[in-house]
Amino acid sequence: MTAVNRKWYDGMLSTEDWWAVWLGLILFGAGLMSIAGVDLVGWMAKTKTWELTSFLNDPSWGKLLATTHGKAGKAYEGMHPLVSLLVTFAVFAGLTCIGAYFQKLNVKKFFLGFAAIFFITWACWIVGHEAHFKALKTSQSVLQSEIYGENVYCTTKVNKCTKQINKALKGLGVDVKAGQVPDAETAAMAIDKSKNAIRMSWGFQLGGGFSYMLALFVGLLIGNLFKGFAAFLKEAAKPEWFIKTAIVYLGVKLGKMWIDSSLKIQAGASDTGLNLILDMALAGAAATFVAYLTFWPIVYALSRKVFKLKRDASAVLSSGISICGVSAAIATAGAIRAKPILPIAVSMLIVIFAMIELVALPAFYTAVAPDQPIVNGAAMGMTVKTDGADAAAGAMLEEMMIANHFSNTGELWTEDYILSAAILTKIWIDVFIGVWAFVLAMIWVYKVERTPGQAAVGASEIWFRFPKFVLGYFIAWFTYIAIATMAPEAMGAAKSGASVVQGGMRKMMFMLTFVAIGVVTDFSKLKGMGKLAVLYAIALFVVIAPIAYVVAYIFHNGMVPPITAS
Amino acid sequence: MRADVVLKLIHDGKEWIVSNDSYKIRGESFEVLDTNLMDALRDSGEFQQGEKLTVFMGYDFDTFPTWLRQYHNHYFNRLVDIEL
Repeated sequence: MTAVNRKWYDGMLSTEDWWAVWLGLILFGAGLMSIAGVDLVGWMAKTKTWELTSFLNDPSWGKLLATTHGKAGKAYEGMHPLVSLLVTFAVFAGLTCIGAYFQKLNVKKFFLGFAAIFFITWACWIVGHEAHFKALKTSQSVLQSEIYGENVYCTTKVNKCTKQINKALKGLGVDVKAGQVPDAETAAMAIDKSKNAIRMSWGFQLGGGFSYMLALFVGLLIGNLFKGFAAFLKEAAKPEWFIKTAIVYLGVKLGKMWIDSSLKIQAGASDTGLNLILDMALAGAAATFVAYLTFWPIVYALSRKVFKLKRDASAVLSSGISICGVSAAIATAGAIRAKPILPIAVSMLIVIFAMIELVALPAFYTAVAPDQPIVNGAAMGMTVKTDGADAAAGAMLEEMMIANHFSNTGELWTEDYILSAAILTKIWIDVFIGVWAFVLAMIWVYKVERTPGQAAVGASEIWFRFPKFVLGYFIAWFTYIAIATMAPEAMGAAKSGASVVQGGMRKMMFMLTFVAIGVVTDFSKLKGMGKLAVLYAIALFVVIAPIAYVVAYIFHNGMVPPITAS
Repeated sequence: MRADVVLKLIHDGKEWIVSNDSYKIRGESFEVLDTNLMDALRDSGEFQQGEKLTVFMGYDFDTFPTWLRQYHNHYFNRLVDIEL
């Protein structure tokens, strides 16, 4: 006799999904130690915006990199930026190698591949921070170019530059807040005094989006032109693991946004951020539910009636394209006992088309609907079918939309709301997969292929198919909500550690995802897919994308991120 | 739940195949596979006529491409009750 039933805790040490939770929660926990006055995450390296000529005149690592310590981490202040980068590598390589060991990956291959991906990622990230690509103009340069000139760019957050210039002007006897307006000469002096305002003859103003594009481009180049090198990296190219970890850190971000809003309300200011987060979460759930019920039957009918696919192939494809991609395709195949070739073929299509969406949709939405940031984010979450590509597309969309809106209006939207909209809808979709697989299994076992002797479908299937990284996301988010509610005096200290985890660490996991997703995408795999690929393309761009947009519009119309600077 | 017979399940593109050290049984559909399995178990002499058996068929995920194995818990294993 052999025990065969699966335990509720099976896979906790051996699956990528659970390891996203562990990797996420370990550093989330380390960040929380700032409440006790201990900074365990301040060693994290971060990129700085740098300008080529200035760097060449006086090259130093300090111009490219810095540490991200908060108030509790003064000990890290003197750390050389290169040491900070090496410590960052050591910590993440160590933790991911432990994960690789338990996932039964080849740890030596994983380490070498991870090292290569890590340093390629950081090289892209540093190059992407060159001011001509990344820097946005200062608000003064956008709104009052006749006084300040059109060529003043900011090497940090725009609102910081605005404050620096206004402070310098005050020192020169011009109080902008009191309504005084400087002359061009005084304005020029104030700009010279501002630490982060620089003059450049040109700039693309791409924000952080350029780093993402560059990382994706380099990844795709490796995956499609240097296949030997891609094979070497393959053991460590885990975009879904990286992005799920980043999504746990995004839970920290949402928690920090909650604390920021609570602190503002505590100080007597009005703030809409908190309500917006709640609205996005609820609207995202409702929109996902509506879209979900619409997508599946339409794609199934299209597959059966127009493309004459068999029932099992239609069900697997409909789930893959309508719900949450690869896991939905495999869960549906499992539920209806479809042959393994079906989910494998559909999964290959999902991964390749997700890449096409990642490249096309952010620019398309930005061009077509520049004033609908949250609608665009939510539509992205319902359209892009892998977690990695969706979060990556959401991040790229956010950078493009913020930069575009700022250039057009001088208003700077607060970061992370557009990305959160993209991720919240996707997470709801992921959560539904367990329920959907359970329902399909019931239909197939008891109606379509009723077989005497076949064991009953257990409700435990819902738990086995539940995306576990979502637990990490909500644990991180709700912990900060609990702090804001039950220990408001600890909010300031909690924010310090959270800033590092949701900032530098989350963005690094996004960057690793961009490189890794490019490395694993091989467009030549589309060859031989024939009818299935045509059906997938039609269903995606004619059915899913338009319906997702309409549903996102209905539920999110009018939602706009708070403005940080204008 | 515990199983009396544990088998590895694969699909070779044409047929479902279950096997262990003692058995290797094929079938184009699960219905055929289960019938063939029942015959094989009956003929083996290991079990008595009329005995009720629980058979576990665990899908062999080594037949999936490496990059898809992380999703293995989404695919399926079969648990079948057979009366010989």
